[in-house]
Amino acid sequence: MDPIRKQELKRQAGRRLAEQRQRAGHLRGRVLAISLACFALLWGIVFVQMATGNDPALSGKKVAKTQATASTRREVETTDPREVETEQGAANELAREEEAAAEAEVEGTEVGPASPEVEEVETVEAEPEVEAVETEPLVTSQS
Amino acid sequence: MRREAVESFECFGGRCAVRVGDRDGEAAAAAVGDARQALLEAHRTLSRFDPESELSRLNRDPRPEAPASPLLRRLVAAARAAGQRSGGLVDATLVGEIEAAGYADSREFDPRGADRESPPPHPAAPSRRAAWCLLAVDDRARTVSRPPGVRIDPGGIAKGLLADVLAESLDGFDSFAVDCCGDLRVGGRGGRSRTILVEDPAGGEPLHELRIADGAVATSGITRRAWTGPDGRPAHQILDPGSGLPAFTGVGQATAVAPTGLLAETFAKAALLAGPDGAESYLPYGGVIVETDGAVRVVDPLGSVLPEVLTA
Repeated sequence: MDPIRKQELKRQAGRRLAEQRQRAGHLRGRVLAISLACFALLWGIVFVQMATGNDPALSGKKVAKTQATASTRREVETTDPREVETEQGAANELAREEEAAAEAEVEGTEVGPASPEVEEVETVEAEPEVEAVETEPLVTSQS
Repeated sequence: MRREAVESFECFGGRCAVRVGDRDGEAAAAAVGDARQALLEAHRTLSRFDPESELSRLNRDPRPEAPASPLLRRLVAAARAAGQRSGGLVDATLVGEIEAAGYADSREFDPRGADRESPPPHPAAPSRRAAWCLLAVDDRARTVSRPPGVRIDPGGIAKGLLADVLAESLDGFDSFAVDCCGDLRVGGRGGRSRTILVEDPAGGEPLHELRIADGAVATSGITRRAWTGPDGRPAHQILDPGSGLPAFTGVGQATAVAPTGLLAETFAKAALLAGPDGAESYLPYGGVIVETDGAVRVVDPLGSVLPEVLTA
């Protein structure tokens, strides 16, 4: 082969090799940047969730929340006069029930205080539910 | 299906409540009923004002060692532990002193009694006598021992202790809350956190809001059970062990968070007795300090202080 032609081919090969290395370097950099961003994002989500007090290990499923909200309120037994519901309390409960029913509709679940289907769903649940009903706060006072 | 059974009733000279939430509503309701009975029975056992209670009989017993029921033995052990954890500030053996201050029998209180011309504030000190050190329990022999003449006043210790006793029996339920006249113990398998409001001693809006899933909160203060003493001076039930007189330390109310009711009660009373400068050191799990001038300090669970976030 012509030495000049050979040298030219060598130059071209070297150029291609350099371009290939450059592309590989860029690709590595991009992968590293995306990995770091994903890592930071995931830990950021975990941090925010924990910092706001919403530890997933301590919270319930949304389905459980809907069911508990819809049907537990009526079943609370009380002898505390403070627990006796006022008209305002009844109105609030109604609003909560409507909200729960709306949520359940979105999720394709039927919710009704006397619905036999709901009762059936409840009885076949294997996992214990996590309490989702927000009850009246406790008060610490001078003992 | 989860339910929460609730009972609220008069006991220990105040209002107690038990709440139990569980899928098994019948079991929860039964547990609440049992807890109520247990508290009322404990009150009959540990009342200082009932001459026929087991505690009163023990306080009259001239023998250095006397037989005692498991609950009374536990109370005596708790009284000693409270003395140890508070460096002697929480002293359950000041019966003569509290009687001399005007609290010999169940009585009416004047919540403003402690406000009138209270003496200059100073931190409380342990008693030189330190009779709480001499309390001992022998579970094998089922006895308690103390020098004859040393009497025991369960006070807030009994409330914190009984909250723990009930918590032990309710621990298998999904959630529970025991309120012994403001001493609270919450827990349960579900790990559900509850909102706990710290009452304003002046009767205003709650001072602070805590969220606790498993633990205890207790509050000690000088305003609720206050009266005018025999000498016409303001008096209340929290005594300075060093002087044997009602303590005026500059702290009007202290709330403590702790893993157990007994510890929370001990820390709250010790914080109140330690005064504004020493109170924080008795709140390792956090709490709220209300000074007599109305300043409020919130001690967060990490031990740092947010100074004067509220003032009355």
